[in-house]
Amino acid sequence: MIEFRNVTLAYGRNVVLKDVSFMCQFHEKIAVLGGSGGGKTTILKLMLGLIKPDSGQILVDGQDITVMSESELRDIRMKFSIVFQEGALFDSMNVKENVAFSLREYTKSSEEEIDKRVRDLLKILKIEKAIDLMPEELSGGMQRRVAIARSLAGCEPKMMLYDEATTGLDPLTADNICNLINELSKGEPPGRVGFIIVTHKVTDAAKVAERYIFIRNGNIIFDGNIDELKKTEDATLKKFINELYVVDGYA
Amino acid sequence: MKSRESFARLQDYYDLAVKAPFGIFRKPFYFRETIEQMDYGGSGSLFIVFLVSLFIGMALSLQTSAELAEMGLKMYTGRVVGLSIIKEIGPVAIALSFAGRVGSGMASEIGSMTLGHQVDILRVHGVSPIKKLVSPRVISSIIMLPVLTVIGDAVALIGGYFVAVTAANQSGSVYWSQIKQIMEFTTIFSGVIKPFIFGYLISTISCYMGLSTRGGARGLRKSTTEAVVYSTIMIIISDFMVTKILIMALGIPV
Repeated sequence: MIEFRNVTLAYGRNVVLKDVSFMCQFHEKIAVLGGSGGGKTTILKLMLGLIKPDSGQILVDGQDITVMSESELRDIRMKFSIVFQEGALFDSMNVKENVAFSLREYTKSSEEEIDKRVRDLLKILKIEKAIDLMPEELSGGMQRRVAIARSLAGCEPKMMLYDEATTGLDPLTADNICNLINELSKGEPPGRVGFIIVTHKVTDAAKVAERYIFIRNGNIIFDGNIDELKKTEDATLKKFINELYVVDGYA
Repeated sequence: MKSRESFARLQDYYDLAVKAPFGIFRKPFYFRETIEQMDYGGSGSLFIVFLVSLFIGMALSLQTSAELAEMGLKMYTGRVVGLSIIKEIGPVAIALSFAGRVGSGMASEIGSMTLGHQVDILRVHGVSPIKKLVSPRVISSIIMLPVLTVIGDAVALIGGYFVAVTAANQSGSVYWSQIKQIMEFTTIFSGVIKPFIFGYLISTISCYMGLSTRGGARGLRKSTTEAVVYSTIMIIISDFMVTKILIMALGIPV
């Protein structure tokens, strides 16, 4: 279980999160929504211990990660896999080396084993032909797929974290990525691999998530399911989900 | 608030500067990255070092022989040029060129990796960015800057010789015999010890600036500029301090 307890964080004078508290299970399918610069990605980084809050606690399986050292955080981070916006692939490495990165760093696998694992993953993600390409030769959608393959290569995560996984992609590619996200999190709780997707595209969130958290000005102003979201009386939220009505044909 | 922030940055820099050189003693070893950095910083800098050193040697020789000729001491040109190049100008000028070319490259490369979340990916995968990114750059700078300095010194002395003989009508053998006379342990040691320190300072400052990059393209510009500015300042300050310490330690009369 993951729990944020009264977490506050500011970058200089800009307060990104104000006294934020929420709880979730590893198997949940959560979308964190909000405007740009609203602190959505910050939540993912806090969850992995990549940044520390100014105050408050973040508990992962009952352990407060805000007081942990880098080496102690390693075990916590093994429970997650993250896919950053635009993939964050290493530009000096080709697709195979990018995907094999964690296998080479973490494990003592032989080159044959690494090669097999990389090819298997690329096949699952339908990008096996891109194995020798460099990141700059890949389209946006392919970069996200390679990033997902890399995040899955070295460990078996309990939860996937997607940072703007569909941003900047055309609707068809975004749809493919959403299908892939659903595919990777299939099954029934509590055994399934859950995810938190951070996005400002509510239509994409609706294709994958079961729970929605909306952040505005550093506060959580909504936490619930899609039906509750559609019934909201909040003006900003209504504007945000208008897009959803158009797609659903409600407008 | 600002002083607290500056203190925190200094503390972070200190942490990086202490950990980075020891990265080579603990597994995993990043030999490939170190060799790559040595190639980029060393072989890649040869041309700029050659040009800078050649023209510094030539200008210094021209200026010195003109001044000494007025006092009738032109035959000491080789001695003055040799001492200036080996002890002071060579190490400092080459370190400044290195900071401009390699230091700025380190800051912008690591800075863009920081902004592109690649550094975060390293940490998520349990890889220390200091070991993977900083240690190879620090080690390669500590090795390559002294090598470049020795090459640059030699090129500058040859440039000085060329001008002394062709423009100042001096005897080439006198020029080299003067240089031979100053080739003592203290002279060579003073000139060779400095690039080790400069290489360490340039690489740690530049890598720190890269890792602390925030705020998009503007932040990247700021961190790259700061890397070169702080490296330049630290080269000049540490040059004075090292010279002072060496004069005291080697018992050279002032």
